[in-house]
Amino acid sequence: MSTSRIDGLSENTSRSFSFGDLVRRRPETITFMLLVAICVIVAIVNPAFLQPSTLIDIGRASVVMGLFALGVFIILAAGGIDVSFTAIAAFTMYSLTVLVLNNFPGMPMAVIMLIAVAGGALLGVINGLLVHHLKVPSLIVTIGTQYLFRGFLLSFIGTVWIMSLPPQMGAFGRMPLFQFESANGALVTLPVYFLILPLAALVTWWILNRTLMGRAIFAVGGDANIASRLGYNLRTVHVFLFGYAGALAGLAGIIHVCANRQANPFDLVGTEINVIAAVVLGGARITGGTGTVLGTILGVLLIVVINSVLVMVGIPSTWQRLVVGSFILLAAAFFVTRQRKK
Amino acid sequence: MSAKEYSEQASGRFLELRNIHKRFGGVHALRGISLTLDLGEAYHLLGENGCGKSTVIKIMSGALEPSDGEIVLDGQTFSSLSPIQSLAAGIETVYQDLSLLPNLTVAENVALNEQLVSANGRLVRLFDRSRLRQTAERALAMVSLPTDRAFLGTTVSDLPLATRQLVAIARAIATRAKLVIMDEPTTSLTRREVDNLIKVVERLRSENVAVLFVTHKLDECYRIGGHAVVFRDGQCVAQGLIEQYTKKELTELMTGRSIGSERYRTGKPAEAELFAASGLVAPGVHDISFKVRKGEILGITGLADSGRNELAMAITGIEPASGGTISLDGRKVAIRRPADAIGHGIGYVPEDRLAEGLFLDKSIFENEIALILTRLSNAFGIIDKNKGRAIAARLSEEMRLNTKNLDLPVGALSGGNQQRVLIGRWLSIAPKLLVLHGPTVGVDVGSKDMIYRAIQSLAEAGMGLVIVSDDLPELLQNADRILVMNSGRVVAEFEAERATEEQVYKAMLTSELEAVQ
Repeated sequence: MSTSRIDGLSENTSRSFSFGDLVRRRPETITFMLLVAICVIVAIVNPAFLQPSTLIDIGRASVVMGLFALGVFIILAAGGIDVSFTAIAAFTMYSLTVLVLNNFPGMPMAVIMLIAVAGGALLGVINGLLVHHLKVPSLIVTIGTQYLFRGFLLSFIGTVWIMSLPPQMGAFGRMPLFQFESANGALVTLPVYFLILPLAALVTWWILNRTLMGRAIFAVGGDANIASRLGYNLRTVHVFLFGYAGALAGLAGIIHVCANRQANPFDLVGTEINVIAAVVLGGARITGGTGTVLGTILGVLLIVVINSVLVMVGIPSTWQRLVVGSFILLAAAFFVTRQRKK
Repeated sequence: MSAKEYSEQASGRFLELRNIHKRFGGVHALRGISLTLDLGEAYHLLGENGCGKSTVIKIMSGALEPSDGEIVLDGQTFSSLSPIQSLAAGIETVYQDLSLLPNLTVAENVALNEQLVSANGRLVRLFDRSRLRQTAERALAMVSLPTDRAFLGTTVSDLPLATRQLVAIARAIATRAKLVIMDEPTTSLTRREVDNLIKVVERLRSENVAVLFVTHKLDECYRIGGHAVVFRDGQCVAQGLIEQYTKKELTELMTGRSIGSERYRTGKPAEAELFAASGLVAPGVHDISFKVRKGEILGITGLADSGRNELAMAITGIEPASGGTISLDGRKVAIRRPADAIGHGIGYVPEDRLAEGLFLDKSIFENEIALILTRLSNAFGIIDKNKGRAIAARLSEEMRLNTKNLDLPVGALSGGNQQRVLIGRWLSIAPKLLVLHGPTVGVDVGSKDMIYRAIQSLAEAGMGLVIVSDDLPELLQNADRILVMNSGRVVAEFEAERATEEQVYKAMLTSELEAVQ
């Protein structure tokens, strides 16, 4: 009886893949399909969508959100949640801009980015240590540190909107990867900083899938108690996770400044839910332990596309939230019913 | 009884525990355990629930630190082990909960730990996928599971329980283990799968691996052979080759308790039938019928996987039955959710009072009236506090709470008093039938006494009571009848007054096959 059961088992798993199976194993398929559907519909209603300039706009707009989303995803994969990343980004970008402007006007751009990454990582590590040692859910800890980081920024660093950036930062924001003239004569630029997102996605994918740390992150996301019993060091995992997410946030912050050519200390904070929504739309479960980098990027693209193209088909931009909200519910309902059918 | 002598070769010694103590707060769980494990030998750690078996294996695997004593591992002395130290030394544990990571694949669950251990727990290392696959294939083949890619890539949460059990065992032998600890490994296996497991154990022993079983199934211990180690109340009461003991001797060693054996049962049940279940079917429960008369106390027992918990949840609507009928006072009732049960007058005091029952930061008063808020509130939903206080005061009196201050938060009370608050709350709806699940788990002896007295006075007032418990003396002292469950069926029924603990315990251990016959 037992052998027949086991035979049946392998038969079951090696059975040809149905669509439902595919969705259950790779929920980001749904994200991809939604994305394609929207693009097709928009392109039919308004062919202008397919112009390179629109696509490049979408690419540009997804960099900061994408970096944030990778950080959120890696924490979600380990069963935690982070809402302080926007505050980390705001803190590093503004303090660093002030520092460069007032003290080191000649600092090379590469060094600025390095400091942004290191500063973000440091703030992230504080999150990680607090989560580990206080044994408080990361949601609560990061709500606390979000207020803390932001409060520190606004009280001690400054509240002034900086309109004229240090020249090297402005130049980096404009530096083209390639440039061309569109049909209506406007100059269209894909900036160099766009490359950072695929690079960061690749690094994140590599860490998650090719290092023991990556597997440990998913193990902790599966069940932290069991993972610790199996010999995974939870402290190392927590510190790395939040440190890495912090580093990505620091990087996102400085790119945000360079791209917008201004540093507003009130920026970014408040967009957390949008980012978390993108990650969840990408198929990562809010309870942790699942998800992929590809899904996360697809989720980000979906949200960015919705945000930027609704206008093109004549839907008022105030409807964005309505659409994003219904997509989240739809996708979630779909994932859940797939799970249950199993 | 002193430990029996048996031959041992000092050269093959792997692990030695010396006078290990473990205290959890005020509970002294291990009281000086000394134990030696040699390579290539099989050991059976036997004892009733709560005797300290799990604590001892957690100390060996590094999940717990002993309060006192030392651990000698491969000739080195430690005061405690970390999980990674224990794993690196070759101690692998298959926990009762299997400790599988549900979101990872079979291959990862089986073989990832080998890479973690060889990296000495350091995570800044590359993850070798082909080595993962090779290790997983080798280990899965040892336990006769498929080794194809599809199976290796299956997520563990998609597997049936018996397969998960084998996956957990495969993980334990994927590393070069020297000691494999298995905590009740056969509870979810069929007989064929058990045979398969026994072959795996023989193979391990022939490769000079020590195997430590924690189990209740004596028949299997005799089949596997090796050493018996018997625990009782945190002490090791016997050690020796298992053939030197009869089943009866082992059972006596495990249960041999003599304190507090007088019977509490005072009243007699009435003739009138109160509750009847017939042909109940639920997950883990197969076709169970029983009756409870007014004023009767029915005990239900069995091992953890016997279906006793599921039966309690089925009759109280927590995990409703999928088949069969329940009638109360001669009328059929449908119980599909807890509210149905409460509405018909069936109360349920859960085993885990902290997680499932009490609001710890709320007062005794608020906890006691939690079920009758609608009855206490007027048309505007305002609660009549005075009436509530009067009821709460009466319930506390009835349950013999040791405090008169009803505003005290329940979290400040002792375990025994908390349990009495919870029982008192159910009395507020005046149930016809009260199901008590492990009513004295984690309760001190004095409180036990008071809870038993309260239970008896409830029965005398005509209430029917069902006590689901694995504390046999408790059932023998309090119940009229005891039903023993095994594999989801009732396998024996005893008159509590005439039954002995040995008889009941033996019935609990009745193997699946015997149960069918």
